[in-house]
Amino acid sequence: MTTLERMIGILDAPEQVVMDWKAKGKKVIGYRCLYVPEEIIHAAAMLPYATLGTPEPITKADSYFQPCACEFVRNIFDLGLDGKFDFLDGLVLSNTCDAVRHLKNMWTTYIDSVPCYMLNNPQKMYDEPAFKFYRHELEGFKKTMEDLSGNKISDASLRESIDLYDETRRLLKELNGLRRRDVPPISGAEALMISMAAILMPKEETNALLLQLIDEVKTREIKDADGPRIMVTGSIIDNPTLIELVEDMGGVVVADDLCTSMKYFWYQTKPNEDPMDAIVRFNLERSVCACMHPSEERYDFLQEVIGEFAVDGIIYFNVKYCHPFVYESATFRKKLEEETPVLALEVDHSLSGLGQLKTRVQAFIEML
Amino acid sequence: MTTKVTTPGEKSLETTAEISKAIKAYYGGVKVAKEEGKPIIWSYGLTPREIFHAMDAHVIYLEHLPLMVGAKQLSGHYIQVAEEEGFSRDVCAFHRCFLGCAVASERDPYLDQFFVDPDFIIATNLPCMSESKSFLYAADHHNVPYYFIDAPINTWGKDIPDYAIEYYAGQLKGTLDFMSEHGLGTVDWDKLKEAVSLSKKLILLWNEIDKCRQAVPTPMGTVDGLTAAYPLIQLPGTQLGVTLFERLLKELKGKVERGEGVLDDEKLRLLWFGVPPFYNMGLLNYVEKYGAVVVKSMIEYIAGGAYDPSIMDPDKPLESLAYKALVDIVNPISENMVNFIRETVKDFHIDGVIGVVKRSCGLLPGYMRPVKDAVYEDSGVPTTIFDLDGLDIREYDDATSKANLDSFIEALLASKRR
Ligand code: SF4
Ligand code: SF4
Repeated sequence: MTTLERMIGILDAPEQVVMDWKAKGKKVIGYRCLYVPEEIIHAAAMLPYATLGTPEPITKADSYFQPCACEFVRNIFDLGLDGKFDFLDGLVLSNTCDAVRHLKNMWTTYIDSVPCYMLNNPQKMYDEPAFKFYRHELEGFKKTMEDLSGNKISDASLRESIDLYDETRRLLKELNGLRRRDVPPISGAEALMISMAAILMPKEETNALLLQLIDEVKTREIKDADGPRIMVTGSIIDNPTLIELVEDMGGVVVADDLCTSMKYFWYQTKPNEDPMDAIVRFNLERSVCACMHPSEERYDFLQEVIGEFAVDGIIYFNVKYCHPFVYESATFRKKLEEETPVLALEVDHSLSGLGQLKTRVQAFIEML
Repeated sequence: MTTKVTTPGEKSLETTAEISKAIKAYYGGVKVAKEEGKPIIWSYGLTPREIFHAMDAHVIYLEHLPLMVGAKQLSGHYIQVAEEEGFSRDVCAFHRCFLGCAVASERDPYLDQFFVDPDFIIATNLPCMSESKSFLYAADHHNVPYYFIDAPINTWGKDIPDYAIEYYAGQLKGTLDFMSEHGLGTVDWDKLKEAVSLSKKLILLWNEIDKCRQAVPTPMGTVDGLTAAYPLIQLPGTQLGVTLFERLLKELKGKVERGEGVLDDEKLRLLWFGVPPFYNMGLLNYVEKYGAVVVKSMIEYIAGGAYDPSIMDPDKPLESLAYKALVDIVNPISENMVNFIRETVKDFHIDGVIGVVKRSCGLLPGYMRPVKDAVYEDSGVPTTIFDLDGLDIREYDDATSKANLDSFIEALLASKRR
């Protein structure tokens, strides 16, 4: 079995990652989303576990959340109501959007089995008072993680965790950087699945596998790479169906700016004497989410990716009712379209309506 | 399916007619200010109005435009303009409507009476994401500076930590400096203290007004209440707001003494939870045929109508305003909101809660189930929940809305008879 197959295979049974970890007598903390510092959880000797959704239809959650709330959040809540996250020792959410804020209320009110914690991250970047506020919040979060795990977090252990996670991000970036080539070594669907697996696994294992993988794919070339080069941007995609559809239609997905891919690994912490400060600045000096202000840097980031990866067309993917990205796509689209064609898609998280979008995707790719 | 069967709400108080005039006069003043070359601000959401009044700033509060054009049945047009601009139908109808007003190349003469282009924009993310993000678009479109006030969500309940107050108050100071830099002169701190003191008076008066409304029969329903809330939402920190509330209180006290209610024979008291039917305010009167009155609407409190006035200390104006914003009931997450509705149901002797879901709202639909459960658990009062978009007529179905109200009220009356 190749390393590529091994990593992708992890997605068939992601809970196994957790079981293996728990077998060592250690705790697991679920989290959503990028503004929850995994490093703090890891430094307390617990496994940060990205709660992803499933393509299953929502059942119980619909009598709690109105169907106009983001389906991803409803999906997570549905799994929670069904006890599918009972293996977690806690769930940490961050202040990114209205839907996640409501998830906190719903979870605390209706699910007793897993305690839920809300990290109050500011939505303002490059702002000293915001750094200060966030530092206070992170200190409270650190204390909660220490209490939950029974382990004290020292500066040294936190620094070690930061280095470990930086290495994962660096390796993922290096691997994905290979997609700049005229003929990329991995397809868009493969890249997304590797990234998701890397996010889910303990980073000690991830890093070793990623090193092997980079080596393994260096000389590889995907087939049918002469189609238009596509960047997919938006919020969260946690299964490869959409990317596969684009690739089946002849597109070559060379970049995916999603919560489960580039947004996760594109940036690294900056050198800092104080590890907590490094985390504060890491989260408030990188423009990955549409919830943050100002937004110019995110636009510049998209432009940078378009240039570096020689992107011919952009697919702006929005989970239905995802307000931050719905606004962002309307705001950026006009400007982006001046140079690069854009197709905006709004799809349920389960991607159930994808069949209807087939013709639009096909027409877009043919037009390119 | 949509219908165009809409009617205005029928008000019953003299002071609310006066308040309506004050609203018109306010926007007339903004128009004049623009002509005189004074800077015009656009703002929205829960930006503390007191800082604007203290700076004598001329502000268009953009939540108002959708209400006004909605009541004139013009909202559909501007919503369409925004959609043509690329905004999805999932974007809040209020914001689509205001964005349509903001970018439309031609405006209806009615809107033109009070529409003025901005010189700069001050936005916040309270109570929802839409507030800050749609403003970015407007700032881009009009090519004007933008200041963003980041409101932490309230994860603390009533005990807001000092570091959160410091963060928010610091941003208010930043807003004042931003206004100064953009042509509004230096900050007059005495005036700001005075504004906080007047704001405190305003909430004390509102609390007394609320007490009158608890009387059975209620002297003021929410058709008047939504207009009466204007000083609360737009005039905190002004003498005009205080004067209007003093008059309203006097009028209501007189009615209570005389036992005069909105209805002579009040059989049911209802609470409206969610966005009111601005497009068809007559729907709030519709229930009166059953002897039912919508006593209150949660929206009346949307910009600080439900907090303890003792937190307002004029000597600490920015900290007071920070505290007020952070404990606001619409500041997620919902504990404060749920508790507030629970208390309101008891204090106002509510028989049933009408929960309406505006599909494109990111905030209120998430409260429906927790409110329904908490209210029922606490006082056995039922809640009905149905879809109703008060602004986007394409989403509004008059017959279904009325049928939903009919069946809920009939069930309430039947259970009263038992
Ligand atoms: S998809 Fe959008 S609305 Fe849903 S949780 Fe993510 S950011 Fe929030
Ligand atoms: S709270 Fe809801 S209705 Fe109000 S502006 Fe926000 S999204 Fe729109």
